Amino acid sequence: MIKPEKSAALTGIGILTVFTVGLIFTMLIPSFNENWSQKTERDGTRYHQTYISRGGALYRQWPDGTQDNVGPTTVREGDIVGYTDLEEVGRRVYQREGCMYCHSQQIRPLNGEMTRYSVGGSLALNSDEREYVFDQPHFLGTRRIGPDLSREGGKYSDDWQYSHFYDPRQMVPGSVMPAFQWLFNIDAQGNVLPNADGRALVAYVQTLGFGRLIHDPSTYPTHGGWGPWIRPKDQQNFQIRGESAVLHAAHGVRAGEPVSVTNTLPSSPLSKPEFRTPDKLKSAVGSHATPLQTKL
Amino acid sequence: MAVQQISNMQPSARPDRIVHDDLAAKVAMWCAIGFLCLFGILGIIASIKFVMPTLFYGQNWMAWPRIRPAHVQGMIFGWLLCIYMSLFYYMIPRLTGTKLFSDKIGIFTVLFWSLGVLVGTVGLINPTDSLSPWWMTKGKEYEEYNPISNAILFTAWCSLIYNMMQTFVRRRYTQMYAALWYAMGCLLWTAFVYMIGNWPSQLLPDHAFKGINDANVNWFYGHSVVGLIATPGGLAIAYYILPKATNAPLYSHKLSLIGFWTLGAIYIWNGAHHMIYGPIPYWLQTVATVFSFLLFIPVFSVITNFFGTIRGEWHQLRNNIPMKFIMAGTVFYLLVCIQGPLQALRDLNAVVHFTDWVIGHAHMALFGTFTFFAYGGAYYAVPRMYKKPLYSEHIADWQFWLSFLGFLVFSVALWVGGFVQGLQWNNPNIPFIQTVNDMAPYWQARAGGGSMMLLGMILFAFNMYKTATVPAPPATEAEIRTSEGRAVAANA
Repeated sequence: MIKPEKSAALTGIGILTVFTVGLIFTMLIPSFNENWSQKTERDGTRYHQTYISRGGALYRQWPDGTQDNVGPTTVREGDIVGYTDLEEVGRRVYQREGCMYCHSQQIRPLNGEMTRYSVGGSLALNSDEREYVFDQPHFLGTRRIGPDLSREGGKYSDDWQYSHFYDPRQMVPGSVMPAFQWLFNIDAQGNVLPNADGRALVAYVQTLGFGRLIHDPSTYPTHGGWGPWIRPKDQQNFQIRGESAVLHAAHGVRAGEPVSVTNTLPSSPLSKPEFRTPDKLKSAVGSHATPLQTKL
Repeated sequence: MAVQQISNMQPSARPDRIVHDDLAAKVAMWCAIGFLCLFGILGIIASIKFVMPTLFYGQNWMAWPRIRPAHVQGMIFGWLLCIYMSLFYYMIPRLTGTKLFSDKIGIFTVLFWSLGVLVGTVGLINPTDSLSPWWMTKGKEYEEYNPISNAILFTAWCSLIYNMMQTFVRRRYTQMYAALWYAMGCLLWTAFVYMIGNWPSQLLPDHAFKGINDANVNWFYGHSVVGLIATPGGLAIAYYILPKATNAPLYSHKLSLIGFWTLGAIYIWNGAHHMIYGPIPYWLQTVATVFSFLLFIPVFSVITNFFGTIRGEWHQLRNNIPMKFIMAGTVFYLLVCIQGPLQALRDLNAVVHFTDWVIGHAHMALFGTFTFFAYGGAYYAVPRMYKKPLYSEHIADWQFWLSFLGFLVFSVALWVGGFVQGLQWNNPNIPFIQTVNDMAPYWQARAGGGSMMLLGMILFAFNMYKTATVPAPPATEAEIRTSEGRAVAANA
């Protein structure tokens, strides 16, 4: 009988063997999942193509990392769009400030959750693997000391976001969020202005939820396989309210060509608290920030 | 074969006569105790910030999201792994019947490792607001330390593996005791888990590990930090200290074999249970849930073994400090390992995920179980390293009750609060901010319990400092053993 406890080498080999087996099954095999990385064109599914926008031009990104400039073009239904340079910096600031420790970026397919984080008049769509293909690092999060942010983009104006970052309790009484005052400068006149980090962060926060441009709930597969799945017993509750679950087309605008989607302006999220924007801050940031509504 | 005694493993008198100077073990112990106090204070500040969010207002480096990873990473890599190193330096030479291969390498390992922890911590609190990827946090839970720190820690750990493997191959006893397999598992798994968890995102091309792939690697790593680094190291210590401190033979060799190999084979499959209902395939979640339940096998074999070992020895619990800590840790281990698989069930996970319940759960593993094991190990080993009796058993007893009761307050508050908040979230008519404000009493209780835990840590550090520095003539093993429990027994 083999007795690994009598041989240090045999014990060591055993230790590495059990480790490798688990590694293959839980990391290597899942990593071939075609929804987990950027893909070439796939007609017949909701997601056709990944694009990345740099310096105003739109590039098509291929799985090997090469990009070709497709010029100003129409972002089509089902495309996933990457981040601009400014938004990419905003992601770094989000990472540095540790936003993901308090704010998750995933909507679970649970009725209460999809209602709580509803977008406009629609239920929030639960998260899909493909929304995240541009995210490094991922910000899925494990704790909601504050609310989930994955459908946050467009819910509040840039002004609101700046005021909230500067002093959260002024905007949401009772909040326990830190005041990120080092994202702001105070100029000679005493105005509070967001600095480069602050502007980048808000630019990124406003993209959240835009990873999936078009949503037609009728195409949702309810069987296994890729994509959002809903437990049968939840399915009856999965009623999309309003005309359709449409998100906003900010990326289409940025790419130079309008996207033919129905824009629904964000309405109040449920149970919105009383907001008080400090006058000084509001006037100061107003000239620097473009409210989302004018973009649309 | 079935029942194995440590005393049986010393057939010849010769290895007994080796004088272990334990220099490396002492250095590692002081690094560990320093980190325990430092990161304990960061932890208490983080918990007070829930109740007083304006504490250190406007100080970027004391912002909650910056000290939180510094506390978690520091407690795992600074405190736990340093004290594991210290106790490995203490027990592995004794279990192999040979001297530590190299004291110099041993001390280098600890000091270089501590440097890595400090570099990583400064990068996390980031007073200069740097956005450099070499310096700032990596932004993924349990792997926040920056790449420079990763390289330092990995190099230090490789030197520890080299040192320990050289000690292993020089061993006088062929048969290896359970504590040695667990220690070897901790050494090898830590290296591989750390490498795989930290490096793909740094070394592979930019697009290779993004999105959900990145999350999957992150949670493979995050779960393995507890399961394949903290667990085997902590169990190695408990397997050594419990029979030694109680002078009772280990209950079953076979159970320890089953426990060890199933631990290694099962733990690594669990990462995906951190993303139940998340944007990952259904099959991966189900696999993770099934394997979470299989964890009952290694856990119950360890628990059975420990309770079997002290059968008939329960009377020692009154005044045997190391045993007290190890057995309290064992009970917490049982609780945390019942909680863990149940949390992996979809219906429970739907409620408790994202709440403070998970924070209570994580602390029960890393504080309630492994820190208690490490406390017990230190109370057993430090008097023997310095060859002096413990400075004060009264203080040690106080520390036990402060840690134990403080942790009960801490964890029960978080479990109840987390459950309440999870249920509140399911009702979308309750505004989010109200669910936050309703947590205030639980967060106050958590800060109170945490303060008791921190006070216990400071008493521990004081007791260890006095044990090492109070002048006393060298005591023999027999003298140390008879002094143990005397003060507490006199008090009782």
